[in-house]
Amino acid sequence: MISQFYILSLRGDTIILRDYLGNVPKRSSEVFFRKVKFWDKEGGDAPPVFSVDGVHYLHVRDASVLLVATTRENVSPSLILELLKRIAGIIKDYCGLLSEEAVRKNFLLVYELLDEVIDYGYPQNSSSEALKEFVLNDPTVLRPRNKSSVPSIGKGPTGVIKSVLDTNRTGGAKRDEIFVDIVEKISCTFNAGGILQTSQVDGSVQVKSYLTGNPAISLALNENLAIGRREDGHGHSHSIPGAEAVMLDDCNFHESVSLDRFETERALTLVPPDGEFAVMNYRSTSNFKPPFKVYTIIEDDPHAPAKAVLFIKLRAEFADSKAAAGLEVVCPLPHEVSRLSCEHHTEVKPSGSQSWDWQERARRLVWKFKRVQGGTEHVLKVRVTLEDGHTAALKRGLGPMNLQFTIPMYCASRLAVRYLQIMKNDPKYQPYRWVRYVTMSNSYVIRT
Amino acid sequence: MSDSKYFSTTKKGEIHEYKEDLRAVDRSKRKDSVKKVIAAMTVGKDVSMLFPDVVNCMQTDDLELKKLVYLYLINYAKTQPDLAIMGVNTFVKDSQDPNPLIRALAVRTMGCIRVDKITEYLCDPLQRCLKDDDPYVRKTAAVCVAKLFDINPELVEDRGFLDTLKDLLADSNPMVVANAVAALAEIHETSGRDVFQITSQSLFKLLRALNECTEWGQVFILDSLATYTAKDAKDAEAIIERVTPRLQHANCAVVLSAVKVILKQMELVDDDVLKKTLHKKMAPPLVTLLSAEPEIQYVALRNIHLVVSKFPQILVHEVKVFFCKYNDPIYVKMEKLEIMIQLASDKNIDQVLLEFKEYATEVDVDFVRKAVRAIGRCAVSLERAAERCINVLLELIQTKLNYVVQEAIIVIKDIFRRYPNRYESIIATLCENLESLDEPEAKASMIWIIGEYAERIENADELLETFLESFPEETSLVQLQLVTATVKLFLKKPTERPQQMIQLVLTYATQETDNPDLRDRAFVYWRLLSTDPEAAKEVVLAEKPVIADVGSGMEPQLLATLLQNLSSLASVYHKPPETFVSRTRLAVQRAEDLPNPEDHFGDESGTAISSADAAIADSAAAAGAPAAAASTTALSPQPDLLGDLLDLGGGDTSNGNVHQGSHDLASSLGGLSMGGTGGSNASQQYNSPQAQPAADDFFGFGGGSGSSARTPPAPQAPPLPVILPADKGKGLTVSGRVTRQNGQIVYKIALANGTQAPMDGFMVQFNKNAFGLSPANQNIPVGSVAPGQTATADLVLNQAAGMLNAAAGTTPTLQVAIRNNQQGVLYMSDSVPASALFTEGGNMDPSTFPPTWKGLPDASEASQHLQGVTPGNIEAIKPRLVAKNVFLMAARGSPSGAIWRPTARAQGVSELKLPHDANFEGLIGLRPQ
Repeated sequence: MISQFYILSLRGDTIILRDYLGNVPKRSSEVFFRKVKFWDKEGGDAPPVFSVDGVHYLHVRDASVLLVATTRENVSPSLILELLKRIAGIIKDYCGLLSEEAVRKNFLLVYELLDEVIDYGYPQNSSSEALKEFVLNDPTVLRPRNKSSVPSIGKGPTGVIKSVLDTNRTGGAKRDEIFVDIVEKISCTFNAGGILQTSQVDGSVQVKSYLTGNPAISLALNENLAIGRREDGHGHSHSIPGAEAVMLDDCNFHESVSLDRFETERALTLVPPDGEFAVMNYRSTSNFKPPFKVYTIIEDDPHAPAKAVLFIKLRAEFADSKAAAGLEVVCPLPHEVSRLSCEHHTEVKPSGSQSWDWQERARRLVWKFKRVQGGTEHVLKVRVTLEDGHTAALKRGLGPMNLQFTIPMYCASRLAVRYLQIMKNDPKYQPYRWVRYVTMSNSYVIRT
Repeated sequence: MSDSKYFSTTKKGEIHEYKEDLRAVDRSKRKDSVKKVIAAMTVGKDVSMLFPDVVNCMQTDDLELKKLVYLYLINYAKTQPDLAIMGVNTFVKDSQDPNPLIRALAVRTMGCIRVDKITEYLCDPLQRCLKDDDPYVRKTAAVCVAKLFDINPELVEDRGFLDTLKDLLADSNPMVVANAVAALAEIHETSGRDVFQITSQSLFKLLRALNECTEWGQVFILDSLATYTAKDAKDAEAIIERVTPRLQHANCAVVLSAVKVILKQMELVDDDVLKKTLHKKMAPPLVTLLSAEPEIQYVALRNIHLVVSKFPQILVHEVKVFFCKYNDPIYVKMEKLEIMIQLASDKNIDQVLLEFKEYATEVDVDFVRKAVRAIGRCAVSLERAAERCINVLLELIQTKLNYVVQEAIIVIKDIFRRYPNRYESIIATLCENLESLDEPEAKASMIWIIGEYAERIENADELLETFLESFPEETSLVQLQLVTATVKLFLKKPTERPQQMIQLVLTYATQETDNPDLRDRAFVYWRLLSTDPEAAKEVVLAEKPVIADVGSGMEPQLLATLLQNLSSLASVYHKPPETFVSRTRLAVQRAEDLPNPEDHFGDESGTAISSADAAIADSAAAAGAPAAAASTTALSPQPDLLGDLLDLGGGDTSNGNVHQGSHDLASSLGGLSMGGTGGSNASQQYNSPQAQPAADDFFGFGGGSGSSARTPPAPQAPPLPVILPADKGKGLTVSGRVTRQNGQIVYKIALANGTQAPMDGFMVQFNKNAFGLSPANQNIPVGSVAPGQTATADLVLNQAAGMLNAAAGTTPTLQVAIRNNQQGVLYMSDSVPASALFTEGGNMDPSTFPPTWKGLPDASEASQHLQGVTPGNIEAIKPRLVAKNVFLMAARGSPSGAIWRPTARAQGVSELKLPHDANFEGLIGLRPQ
């Protein structure tokens, strides 16, 4: 199976190294790092699986470290990559977060964990919960710079920086709480006519539990949840707005989940192990309302053939009680564009919440928002000067545009948690329960 | 307190400091010191000299300290085996500790210390721990059996650990079951023995364990189920039924392994309705894999590629999910594109084309090129969509982007080959873009188009002339196309200007180039044109065969192998496992045995559509059996004629070139009748030491001379050299040699069955070769070969012109394919010793020899020194040579030594003469005719 496992910093330093079979040279991490760093001239990423001199290297990149496994056998690459991802998750659970500094500060703890997770190259115990009884070292949890009692939602579920060992080891930070996050990533493609061409939601119900005594929980979802796509191709025609069911194409569940009450009540029962994990992953391609629409209009200047005005119009089509954070509209422009200047059409308040950036080398215009309220509309007027005075080139070379954003407390698929019940017969036991929703852009493309 | 402080001491003399602290009385100081040592170890410092001091800390109640010491031990025990023994007592004691954590820790660590001496102490603790009450200890002990087997397999068998391990398959704890499966599979794999054969009883146990196991254990069980051959359709259906729920697992590895099992067992299912249902069930989980992280997606996509190559119906309605996302890494995008091409159909082609067109405007050049190629491939495979594809290509050409235009022209050439006389109206558009062509493949394609349609292009001569200006600087690909295109132009429009052009180009190609392909092609044209222009027309302007839809370009045989290896590295590299996995666990391997790391990620599209010009016959070998050629060259590098024959001196031990597939004609000669240990041949890659005894035999050629003292007694039947070792032949070992017997060329072959099942239905086939050899009968008359047995056969070989590969010269390589009913086709490479070709009637008249010899080109002469030949012993050697059909024609003494003229005539096509200008060293020269 796995010959070696190591964690490298992005500079190529070995932070953690375990050799299991001794059949791969010790220097393999250097070979690996050189290969990954200079994979191709254009800076494309190395594929996660490749081989050099008969040694197969499998790696995943997580935040600021590389997790690598080497082998000489015909192993299952998905098993190893899943394991590497899992190890990253375990380190996050124990050290609060995964970073070069966190691993260095906790290297003995990481070795201790690895001892239990991999034996002789074979994956063993990989649940953060079960690992607790084998670990003796205490974690050093790195605190984020800005301390806030309620974890910020901006970064999604990873906003909580807390070790699983906090609940029973370190007295000070102990607090019984459970986080249930519905995290959705949406992919949309609009064609040049502004019509939605493909759309998909990849969602997961993430649970992070810090409950003493690990009581069972019950998590109820929408009652009108339907799984499996309608077989007939014309399913969309008989969908009634309002009463529409929440349609999922496919979903899978964590192994701790009992589905006894799923068919009848759409409720999941489980004893949540400590640490972060996905209770359920799902995918939906049934039509949802895209949160943003973008249109472009090009106006020629009748007096100056080399000049044109490009209007980029952004409409936030979700409830005005919600707001998107960190929105960026990236608009590639053709190389004929020699100069441009922008002005905002909407009143900007508070000032500085909107900005634009012309990245000349990458030939793209980035329009940035700190916050976009639902139901609002924004226009960016771009005055363009074209090198060879041909506005057709602008029309042809514009786009495709891409949007990046995060909308807290918004759920594209309308999947919802009806209730979260902690099944413990103790009326005094009232742990904090957080149910949060967040929708992020995955690939939100507007073609022109 | 954080651990990072342990990294911070970098002062001089830190080793000394550690040592002091390790000996400290204070326990916490000792622990701190061990932590520092481990920190130093991690960053790559050598702290092995602290071994005794660290081991001294082992005996402790502090579990944390113990773990640290063990971590250190595992790392350095190998370098200090004697000192490692010091720890044994503690290990044995710990393995009986009341705390299960300590018991497990002791067994786990002992197994990791790969020191032979420790293993005997390991057995008793291991035996106890395998039967421990605590499942944590049992699961650790199960893995430990695999560790022990790797160090000392005999010990594992003597102590009956394998049986204990098999009992653990029925353990109540899922972790124990998972590890027992993993350990058995590992032992099965490394030993190549059947320790883990699934029977109908163990099948039931495994299926039950499947539900209880950890996710990793499920993967191990599923992977072993994929090797099980069900008894009948009912059996297979039962397995499928139990495995199907695994498709819902969140772990991608479980899903892929489940798919592998289902696909394998489905082979036995006849029920079409069930098959259809299963296909439907597999689609959503496969699509869900694409929601995973990009790394896992990549593996999933490479696997899906294989699945849809065989079963496109599974995902035929899902092409949309393979559309590329904005933020996909390039390696994911490339794979998605490939799958989109495979799933493209008349129904979805409009949508797919729109996507391709969008991709063709992206920034990444490689991706854009692949997108353009994808459009071309869809045009070739979907006749009804061809026109739409061409329109998109024409639109893309309008972008004038250099690399888009070039790629488009390359694929349009293929479209013309696929649909002749249908879309030639677009040639005008193509001709507008000649200036932007700067890549050889695009240029060659454009030139082909101009030549092919010269009669429809008014200014074809002008266009070609612009290319001809730079003729000497072009790559050979372009030059070859230019020669052909000019000839076509001349034949179609025999006017003055083309005539001048053809003069120019043929003169250059025949006189000023070093490229033999170009020169020969030009000569052929020249002779054709000067002798019979009508015949030239018939040859050059002959109707070309229409190229077919080539799909993903994967051989069905390879595809079947890869599907069996779904969810393994083979399925990611798209190469059979034996090409990149070596069983032996060596620290360093020879680089040349290993696959090129880059070539799995790349240009399948390039090979997918044949761009060969049909007007010129391709090299027979390449056209005849591309698959065979490709796989045999992978096994042994094709030796070139010159290097090969000049290596006749390979018999000399000082010659370093003996190994690595270089054939050594002389030692083959020697090994034939006088050799004790068999001649060397292509398999030297695997058994290069054999080449040297063979070389010694050749010294023995000298017969009575003093140096022949080492001649080994000649056994009657020397063992045949191995041409396909068992690890390459999936358990089948093939040995063989071409030899001469009773005036016939005979291929002596031995087949050793190293697998557990009988093999039958053996057949043999040769690729075209230099001597036109082919077996008279394709069946190998050995019947069924039982496991562990070896069957031999003598195959009579014929020589036929149809089997002649003119391009091979006198390269003695013989590419052999052997198939049987169990394994399918195996490819291997052998060589033909010259002596097998020498005919009985090779004696020549002394008067005709000199002119014949001189008439042969010197350039192809190869020679070799014979050591130990003296004028005095020539007569003694003579009968030995005659026995091998080498005749001594004349011998005379001269002041410088002796002149010696042996002669031999090879059967069939290549006549070989052996004059011998020998002094005491002896020199043999060969000039092939």
